[in-house]
Amino acid sequence: MGTKYAIETRGLNKTYKGKAHPTLNGLSLRIPYGSLFGLLAPNGAGKTTTINIICGLRKYDSGEVIVDGHFLSDGMKPIKPLLGLVPQDIALFPTMTAYENLRILGGLYGIKKELLEKRIDELLELFDLSASRHSFINRFSGGMNRRVNLIAGMLHSPKILILDEPTVGVDAQSRRLILEKLKDINRSGTTILFISHYLEEAEQICSEVAFMDNGSIICQGSPSELKNIYKSCETIESMYLLLTGKRMRDNQ
Amino acid sequence: MNIFRYLLYKDYLLLKRDVAGLLLMFLMPVVLVILMTLLQESTFRAITDASVPLILINNDKGELGKSIDRELESSGVFKIDRLIDGKVPTLREIEKEIASSRYTMGIFIPENTTENIQKNVARYVLSTFSGAVDLPAMDSVGFVIYVDPTTKASFYTTIMSTLKEKTQKIEFDYIMKEITRQVNEISPIPISTAGFAGQQVYIDIRDAKLEGKDMVPNPVQHNVPAWTLFAIFFIVISLSASIIKERQDGSFSRMLTMPCSYTEYLLSKAIVFTIVCLIQFGLMLFIGVFLLPVFGLESLNLGSSPLALIILALSAALAAIGYGIAIGNIAENFHQSAVFGAISVVIMAAIGGVWIPTFIMSDTLRTIGMFSPMHWGLSGFLEVFMLDAGVKAILPESGMMVLFGLVCFTIAIAFNYRRRLDV
Repeated sequence: MGTKYAIETRGLNKTYKGKAHPTLNGLSLRIPYGSLFGLLAPNGAGKTTTINIICGLRKYDSGEVIVDGHFLSDGMKPIKPLLGLVPQDIALFPTMTAYENLRILGGLYGIKKELLEKRIDELLELFDLSASRHSFINRFSGGMNRRVNLIAGMLHSPKILILDEPTVGVDAQSRRLILEKLKDINRSGTTILFISHYLEEAEQICSEVAFMDNGSIICQGSPSELKNIYKSCETIESMYLLLTGKRMRDNQ
Repeated sequence: MNIFRYLLYKDYLLLKRDVAGLLLMFLMPVVLVILMTLLQESTFRAITDASVPLILINNDKGELGKSIDRELESSGVFKIDRLIDGKVPTLREIEKEIASSRYTMGIFIPENTTENIQKNVARYVLSTFSGAVDLPAMDSVGFVIYVDPTTKASFYTTIMSTLKEKTQKIEFDYIMKEITRQVNEISPIPISTAGFAGQQVYIDIRDAKLEGKDMVPNPVQHNVPAWTLFAIFFIVISLSASIIKERQDGSFSRMLTMPCSYTEYLLSKAIVFTIVCLIQFGLMLFIGVFLLPVFGLESLNLGSSPLALIILALSAALAAIGYGIAIGNIAENFHQSAVFGAISVVIMAAIGGVWIPTFIMSDTLRTIGMFSPMHWGLSGFLEVFMLDAGVKAILPESGMMVLFGLVCFTIAIAFNYRRRLDV
């Protein structure tokens, strides 16, 4: 497609109805192919709005969004199969088993039956859930739910995987497993947009990070590059606090 | 198509696992139709079989006594006793029986009532013809009527009017006869009133009805379609809840990031719930035709146009599904949709004539009821069941329900678009 960015936004603006201040204020974001990209921001900075716009779930006021060379303004049809969204909510059907959930969600991605069965088996094995494939989601632990939620976004082997807080509310073992598998998936060529409040996670796995505040990117680069720029900061967390301030942020 | 099959499978599984919703959609209407039909049937019987207990002591051997006796007997309204404990009661005993509410009314016609009327008339006519200034002395003529104080005034007035009418007719007949006799004594040409019927004005009372709309259904004909429509509309609770749950847990958003459109998402729900509605419809007809007769009720006559019935069922399903989808999109949460959905369906049912048939409602309520989709559906079903109507006859009712459903769909889509995309 002649572009080096899996996702690119140019001067993206969005102000919600009834809100005085814009949620996105000229957001320009570039996520290179093959990167494991961390988008780090305080509450209310516009992370979820950015994801929703990229996935076609929200309209934007102005600017451009380009996904794998496709302009979002031309329609979502070529973009949808490229994206795998893992939302912060456990977006699964609680009265169904893990297998039923994955079969339906995989089917909705248009995966052929034989291939889908194979992918379900592989991914359940990968995330250590094979034994629970026929158990109901509403009887799963938080960590198990997170893993099924993650698998559901990866069934169709998307070119770009978008993860919104994929480790929130899980125990240390599940978190470690999820992060390891994400690194493996990224190594296999999948571009990952990773959003997390756990800054040490981002530091641990991301090849590139961007700090976002008040609806725009304030700083972007690899962790090592950023540490060279902000020499006084030993960790991503201290850099984050330096750039976004220590003032408490609540969802606005 | 492959994607749509998975949407259908998802909605089928969600419905299958919603045990409470299934009970609400299938068991509740079955229980209601059987219970309400039996209740209405027994109430109807109690009303039609009831007769007013009355003591009649007729000591008059003349025409008036016989006429009143005959009139009361033939009315069919009264259960007439002439003796109490095997003997003719006194006036005091009659009063005691009425006061203790064993009887609603007691009528005492004294001896020689007819004869006394006859004598009084003769005296009056004679004195008039003889040119007397003063009226002659009259024999007293009087009935005694005891009435239970709790008796409705309208009922009491009707009885009194009947008694007065009979008395006046007798008086009139005797006056005519006496005048004729007196005239014939002085006239060279004899006159006769034998052929004079006395009643020249004939009042023909008819029930007012619209052409083809004189439908007074029996309890089975009313309750089966009424509760079928109620059941069909009650899917609103399950349907709106499923939409809200998917919206709240994020699975709706997730599905929209997949190659599946919002139209396909809605269509899948509409198809699954249409099948539910058709199963409900079939089940309720089965109950009407085969199960209610087991309870001693009439079997439901389905008319002669199955196609008209299917069109009505599908139209009602479309109206209900449209309404459910609108509530699911407008309501903020499950509690709002459950409360608003249930209450609005109950109100639509109440004004639409599901509980109480519209033909016994006041004009105002009947007019309000005409805005209820359940009223349209019920009218259509009654036309098929009672007037043997075909497809053409039910098209207006069916069209109204389809229109209602489409308006609801449009509102739902517009609301969803604005909320989801924030435009």
